[in-house]
This record gives sequence, C-alpha cells and structure tokens, in this order.
Amino acid sequence: MAPAAAAPSAAKSGKDTNFKDKEKSGSVRSSNIVAAKAVADAVRTSLGPRGMDKMIQSGNGDVTITNDGATILNQMSVIHPTAKMLVELSKAQDIEAGDGTTTVVVIAGALLDAAQKLLVKGIHPTAISESFQRAAAQAEIILQNMATPIDLANDEQLVKLATTSLNSKVVSQHSWLLAPMAVNAVKKVLDESRPDNVDLKAIKIIKKMGDTVEESEMIDGALIDQKTMGRGGPTRVEKAKIALIQFQLSAPKTDMENQVIISDYAQMDRALKEERQYLLDLCKQIKKSGCNVLLIQKSILRDAVSELSLHFLAKMKIMVVKDIERDDIEFYSNILGCRPIASVDHMVAESLGSADLVEEISTGGDGKVIKVTGIQSSGPAVSILLRGSNKLVLEEADRSLHDALCVIRCLVKKRFLLPGGGAPEMEVACKLREKANERGGAEQYCWRAFADALELVPYTLAENAGLSPIHTVTELRSQHANGHSNYGVNVRKGFVTDMKEENVVQPLLVSHNAIKQASECVRSILKIDDIV
Amino acid sequence: MAAAAESILALTGKRTTGQSIRSQNVTAAVAIANIVKSSLGPVGLDKMLVDDVGDVIITNDGATILKQLEVEHPAGKVLVELAQLQDEEVGDGTTSVVIVAAELLKLADELVKNKLHPTTVINGFRLACKESVKYLNENLSFPVEELGRQSLINAAKTSMSSKIIGPDMDFFSEMVVEATELVKVTDSATGKITYPIKAINVLKAHGKSARESQLIKGYALNCTVACQGMPLQIKDAKIACLDFSLQKAKMHLGISVVVDDPVKLEAIRREEFDIVKRRIEKILAAGANVVLTSGGIDDLCLKMFTEAGAMGVRRCKKSDLKRIAKATGATLTSSLANLEGEETFDASQLGHAEEVVQQRISDDELILIRGTKARTASSIILRGANDTMLDEMERSVHDSLCVVRRVLESGRLVAGGGAVEAALNVYLESFATTLSSREQLAVAEFAQALLVIPKTLSANAARDSTDLVAKLRAFHHKAQQNSKLSHLKWAGLDLENGEVRDNKEAGIFEPSMSKVKSIKFATEAAITILRIDDLIKLDKEEPRGGDQCGA
Repeated sequence: MAPAAAAPSAAKSGKDTNFKDKEKSGSVRSSNIVAAKAVADAVRTSLGPRGMDKMIQSGNGDVTITNDGATILNQMSVIHPTAKMLVELSKAQDIEAGDGTTTVVVIAGALLDAAQKLLVKGIHPTAISESFQRAAAQAEIILQNMATPIDLANDEQLVKLATTSLNSKVVSQHSWLLAPMAVNAVKKVLDESRPDNVDLKAIKIIKKMGDTVEESEMIDGALIDQKTMGRGGPTRVEKAKIALIQFQLSAPKTDMENQVIISDYAQMDRALKEERQYLLDLCKQIKKSGCNVLLIQKSILRDAVSELSLHFLAKMKIMVVKDIERDDIEFYSNILGCRPIASVDHMVAESLGSADLVEEISTGGDGKVIKVTGIQSSGPAVSILLRGSNKLVLEEADRSLHDALCVIRCLVKKRFLLPGGGAPEMEVACKLREKANERGGAEQYCWRAFADALELVPYTLAENAGLSPIHTVTELRSQHANGHSNYGVNVRKGFVTDMKEENVVQPLLVSHNAIKQASECVRSILKIDDIV
Repeated sequence: MAAAAESILALTGKRTTGQSIRSQNVTAAVAIANIVKSSLGPVGLDKMLVDDVGDVIITNDGATILKQLEVEHPAGKVLVELAQLQDEEVGDGTTSVVIVAAELLKLADELVKNKLHPTTVINGFRLACKESVKYLNENLSFPVEELGRQSLINAAKTSMSSKIIGPDMDFFSEMVVEATELVKVTDSATGKITYPIKAINVLKAHGKSARESQLIKGYALNCTVACQGMPLQIKDAKIACLDFSLQKAKMHLGISVVVDDPVKLEAIRREEFDIVKRRIEKILAAGANVVLTSGGIDDLCLKMFTEAGAMGVRRCKKSDLKRIAKATGATLTSSLANLEGEETFDASQLGHAEEVVQQRISDDELILIRGTKARTASSIILRGANDTMLDEMERSVHDSLCVVRRVLESGRLVAGGGAVEAALNVYLESFATTLSSREQLAVAEFAQALLVIPKTLSANAARDSTDLVAKLRAFHHKAQQNSKLSHLKWAGLDLENGEVRDNKEAGIFEPSMSKVKSIKFATEAAITILRIDDLIKLDKEEPRGGDQCGA
C-alpha cells in the first residue's frame, strides 16, 4: 500500500514508548493515521454476509465470539489514543443507529488512507478536512435522493430489512424466525404519541441456555428471569392479579442503630409475636387488595422478604418472585399494567395488573423463567425468550437480535430505505466523482479521494465473499455509471445485481450516519498535529 | 503490511488471524475429541483422572471427563460446554456429540484449505443437519409401543453396556426402568406425564458387590434418628417435615436482654426453652410420630420426642425433605405461624407412610420411608467395592435413568450401534448428489463425518473398522434403494462378534431425541468455531503504572 514510506517509522512509534514524545506534526499525523487504519483493518474481515467472526479472549479468560464491530472493538483493548477514537466512533454508531458499526470503521479507515495520499501531495490538512466535510454533506444529499420512502405498515419490507442485518451473523440461518420477531417486537412498542422514536428498553430479551436458536420465541406477555420462591406457594396462577412492590417484607429496621431491651421473660415471647404480627399484617394487606402474584424489588439494605413472610404468603396462595432489578421496575410496570407500590398503604386493587396466567416454566437444566400471558391493559412492551446451544452462540444471538431491532428502529426514525450490498456507497462515489469536476483547486482532488475511499465498502464485501474485488468493483462502477443505482454486490450469486430485487435493503439512517460520523472522525484525526 | 499492522494496532495481547487460527481451533477441538474417543461404545475403556488435590475419578462418561480437564484453549472450551449441554438436555451421548463435532471441524478445515469459503461449508452443514434430522424422524425411528416395556429395558441396557455396570446390565436395567416408572407424575392441570428422575434418590454404600444394589420402593434418607432412645421402626407413620431448628429460641439481632435480678435470669432461660417446647408439643399433639427437620434438635427437645415415642431426625437435606414432602403428602413447614399470628400445627400438614424404619446397610444406617401415600417414590442403593467404582456406578445409573426418561417422554427409539449414523451417511451422500451448488461438497463431508461413530465403535472393539463400516454401509444402501429390503435399515454393528446384524432384533436402542439433539448440538458448535477467523488474546490486566501514554 501507499504509506510505505511513513509506515516503518510509525511502526516503531506505534508501540507505546514513542508517541508521548513531541514529534513533528507530519509524523504525528501519519502515525495517527496508521494506528487508526490498523483498527479498521482488524474489523474489515467481519463485514458483510460472508464476514467471519472474531474470537476474543479477555485477560481473565472469558471468551467472546462475535461479528459485531462495536463489540469487537470494545473487547480488544487498544492503546493508541487515535485507535481509541475509532473505537469510540463505532460505539457512537452503535448508539445512534445500532447497526453498521463495522461499516463506519471501515469507511473511516478508507478516508484516512485517502487523506494520507492527499497529504503526500502537499495539500494542507485543513483544506482536506474542510473538503471532506463538504463532500460528506453532498453525500448525504445523494443518499437522500436515491432512498425510497417506506410505509411502516409494510411488514414484508421490514422483515427483509431485518433479514439483511441478520445475514452477517452466526444466526443468519434463523433469520426467518428472528427477523419477523424483531419487526413485531418493535411494532408493538411503537409509541403513538412519539412516532419517530422507539424505546428499545421496552423490549426485554431473556437468554436461556439449552435447545437451539430455533426454539426462541416472542412471548405475547412478560417474562421474568427469576424463580418463584417456593415454600409450598403456587407456581401457576390463573386469573392473576399482579402487584409490584418496592418495600420489604421482613422485620423492620430503623435507620439509626437501635437496641431493644428485654428485662422480663414474658417480653421474649412478645418480641417474637410482634414480629409475626407485623409481617402478618403486611401480608394480609397484600392479600386484601386481591393480589395473588407478588413481585418484589431487590433490596440491598434489608432482606427483601423473610422466611416467615414467605411462609405466610405461601399459605395465602400468593406466588412470590423476588429480586426484580431496580432498572426493570419500569419495564414490568409498563408491560404488566401495574403501578409500582412503594408502601403497603398504597396496596389497593387499582394498582394491580391482571393477567390470565402466570406460570413458572423450566427451560432445561436448572433454568426457570416466569411467563405471564394474557395480560389485560398491557403497556407497550414485549419479551423475547432467546435460546442457544452454548453461551457464545446465545450471546451472539442476543447481539444480533439487538442489531436487527436497531435497524427497524432506524427506519422508524427515518422512513427511507436504501438498497444494500454496497450500492449506496458506490452510488455516492459515482455521483461525487461527477460533482468533483465542478469544484476547483485542491477540493477537486479531495472529493475524488473521498469517492474512491467509499468504494472500499463494496470492495471489502466482494473480498470477504471470496469474489475478485477488482472485477466486482469495476463492474459495479460501470453499472452505476449507466444509471442502475440499485445495483450492488450479490454475495450469494457472486456477481453484481439489482439489490432491490434481491430484497437486500438497509435503512437510510445507517448509511447516512456512517458516512457523516466517519468523516467527522477523520476530520478530527487530521486536525491533530501534536501529541503531548 | 500485516506484520506492521500488528504492531501498530498496539494491543495488550496477541492476535492470530486467518487460516492459522482456524487450523489452530480445529486442532484444539480434535485434541479434545481424541481424549474421549477411546471411551465410546460398549467396549470403550475408562479414564482415570487425578486432580490437583489427589482425588481420583475413574469414568467412562464424556461429560465428566471433559469437566475434569481444565481446558485452556477457547475453542476447546466450546466443546467442553457442548458435552455439558448434551448432559443437561439429554443425559447421555456426551461422548458421541464431542466426537462428531470434532470430526465435522476436521473435515470442514480440509474443505476450507481447498479454497471452499467457510460460509459455504457452514450453509452445507446446516442443510445436512436439517435433512438428517428430518430423515431420522421419518424413517429411522419407531415408537416405543411397538415393542413395549422390553424396549425400555433394552434402551437402558444399551446405555449401560459401555459402563462399569455393563456385565450386570440385566439386573440394573430392570431396576432403572422400575425406578423411573415409580416416579411418574401426571400434571393435573395439563395432563402431561413427566418422569422427574431427580426424585429418584441414588445412595451409595460401601461394601458388597454391585449385584447387591437394591431398589427401594419408597424413600431412602441418608440420616439416622437423633438419639438412641427413639424407636427404630414406626408403622403407619405420620410425618412432619420442618424447615426450622428445634433449638432454644434465640433473640434477633438488636434485641438484648438486660436482667437486674438474678432470679429473672433463670426465668428467661426457662422461657427460651419453653418457646421451643410449646412448638414441639403442638407438633406432637397433631399426631406426628416422625419428625424430620433440616435444622438441629436440642438434646432437651430430644427427650420430649423419646417420651412421646416419636422418631426425630435432624439435619436432613432440604432437597430430600422437599421430595419426602411430595411423596408423603406432607407440607414442608418453614414456620408454625398461622394467619392469626399464633403458632399452630395442623394435622393436615402431616404426611403419611406405611412404615418408617432405620436400617443398617453396610456401615451406615439409613432411614427408609416405605409405602408413601401421595405418590410412589423410589430410591436406589448402590453397593460397590470402593468409592471410585461407586461414583462411576452412580453416573452410569444416572445416564440410564436419563435415557429411560427420554424414551418414556418422547416415546420414540432408534436402533443403536452406529445404525443411525450409517443410514444417515448413505442418505446424505445420495442427497448431496442432488445439489448442484458448492454446498454439495460440504453435505458430503457432513455425511462422512457421521461415520466417525461406527468407525470409532469398531476401532475401540479392536475390529477392522474399514471392513465393518463398508459392510454396514452396503446394508443401508440396499435398504434405501430397495423398498423390499427396508428392514435392513436397522443394521448396526455387533461389536462382540465383529459383524453386522439387525440391531432392532438384538435390542440395541437409543432414544431418538438423544440422536437428534446430538446432531443439532454438534453442528451448531462446529459452526460457531468455523466462523472464527481471528483470535485476539488479551493479556491479563496488570496494575498500570500510569506513566504510559496517559490515555
């Protein structure tokens, strides 16, 4: 590759000893660029449907197998500060769009490569930086023009979209199951009042080992990843009235140190009785409200529930589930249609949620989850039970499903579709090259370089799929030049076809964000001329 | 460039990419499989594992062997997890699942080296897996009803044949099937029949030989009565299961007793005892004559039981108590408090059994609860010459129990002895030729990989594996070509005599669920490992000096 001259010196400084030294701005810049490009190269092989996975073993021996760019970069602890910027970039894309985390890093790497060539030509970094900014703005317009609007009611399109996102993952064979699942889940939590955003927190994914991914299901109701407390209490309740309490059912404790002093034997019996009576009163009040399923928030200060109160509740035929995480309270109160109850005084029938059936189901081995179905007045929230034959597959399935959900969310935010398979990048590249001719001076060079850099995406797609990258990219370029803007790399068939017909689509927001964020990141790297 | 990028990436660790990592992963997986390979089949041998404390385990069970090995390599760990998963889900077939997965990887690696893209291989494997499961369910399995109870016994025998209790398998299979049938539970709400084999208590006792093991229709509890004066046998027992201690009452934290008069001290001591005394009186008044508790019983309280002629057992395991409560119809009581805030013990909380007796078996005394009222229960007492043997017997019995349970629950069987694998191999090879894409190669390799089971079986039996497997395949080919000869599809290996026979006739059965799951799990694990093209190994985090790069 081109930066051969800069690479050896940078390679030395790259380790970690030298870059704290003051160096000449030129070599600092090229060292930065080389470091950032190394990061991009590291994730490049995982791009696209034929991308491979990375196995990362962390310091304490934990193993992650993943295809998700953000996860890979997050896991490998890079040292170089500029490399870290790329990691941040991928994270930003993850937060904003949720998908395309690999693409964004690959584009950033390509842009840096282009910038380096321009620097060698003697163009000032600021000029490059500003031209890139304008080129990125132009690219957004081009993308917008080639996008097709989509109706959210069009389930078929949405499923295709989710399938495209799942294609590169280990669970791609199960996309027929997971893609509709993701679409339905997002549609369910779609808030009418805020139509242009979706709160993905309202989708709860519960992972359980055992079985294969095929056995995953979306539950029309809630799942609680806990066991019932037993003690002879019921494990299956029909016509359930569910209460979510945030207070504790155990012997009271004051904030200050306290001491109860007993000086007579009769008082001993009373002390025991008093505790019983106190808990009994609490339990009775719970029972009085008509509740028969009790969810108790996790408590650090006191036992959330004592043996004695469990005994009472079991006698009253109330199912008890404890250790509900504080963060999950909102989710459960939403989905179950009940209000969290902070004090026993507020224990009234109105704050209970009702469901047809609450039951504990076992998920192979020791795993158990509680399934709530037939919820009346359920809020916008869904649960998904994910299965997998080993921990690594399960976690990767979780990440993939999350990506698919994000893609659908992107579409809700911005209701435009783009063809996939590198088509948008190639289209932007072609159009930018045309526009470049209208520009004067160094800017023309920069725009061309920007356009060339974007072609790395279809190039990598072809490379990962074992196709000849040169053939594929040139073929693709000529198709786009002839006005076939929907053509992309068809990895399955091994040549260039119309991606829309192949049902490979992606949301506008993902590509949009990727180009915008990558160019911004590159600009900030270019502007650095000194590391102290 | 790659080497330069390596150093520039400035990772705190090592990175391996491309083909080398794939081969490395495959080598690790194959190494793991080679360890367990020789323990497959009726003539497989055992492993002796000695851990760092010096404990010895002798076993033939794949999952147990792998669990004991401290596998470092991440890809190896995937296989170990795989065996454990098979153990949890099915309980048997742990060795074969690992061997198949490793063989799949080995052949896939060859394909990749021959420039077939890993994703193509993966697609082919998935397709092959789906096809074989379909074919297995449609053509190779048959319902239990066809052969009745004998088939259960045969399935149990098949699973035992490779274990230490193999020579006594007639004896043990009968026992295992009976034990499983005794714990049958019908869910009243859904009508589903389950066999919770956890409810079968397997106890180990030193001495005598394996043949002296016995099945007890009832519950055997590994505890003794709390003191000698208590009766050792109670007929028509009323059993109370308690989950609290019958000890002198202790005040809660934060309650302190302050006495200013020495006379009161005595009163308080008496009260401490009286609180628990009142409790015991209530329990005895309800008619209980056997009291089992998970906590302790004070000496003072023991006297009360002895006087009342009741049997008291302390420090029972809670899991035991739960099962006893279920079997006898008792309620496991964690507190005597009732809904009025008083303490009572109701006779309805008692469970019933015809007889509770303490018996001496070898050096230990056991309490046997016979003739439980609510549900039948069963326990198996294993006898053996030494600890390692007893442990292995327990594992073998557990495997067989799992097998019997799976057969009963899923109701379908397949013929064992490599019959299924050979049939699938023949089927998949002809299926592969119908594919006109690159997946053909992968499907053919998948078929080849399945043959590892009959090959290993015959190799372990010191037979000519090439010859035997070829014969076996010929039989299956005939069965699939000619519908008149379809009975040949049950052909499997007879390892004692080194020939091919009808394994359905011979009674070599395995639950079909076990085969289906092992094919599915092995494929999934192989795919997980195949997809990896990059391994990043981070160094252990060391306390940072803070002088480096400041970021």
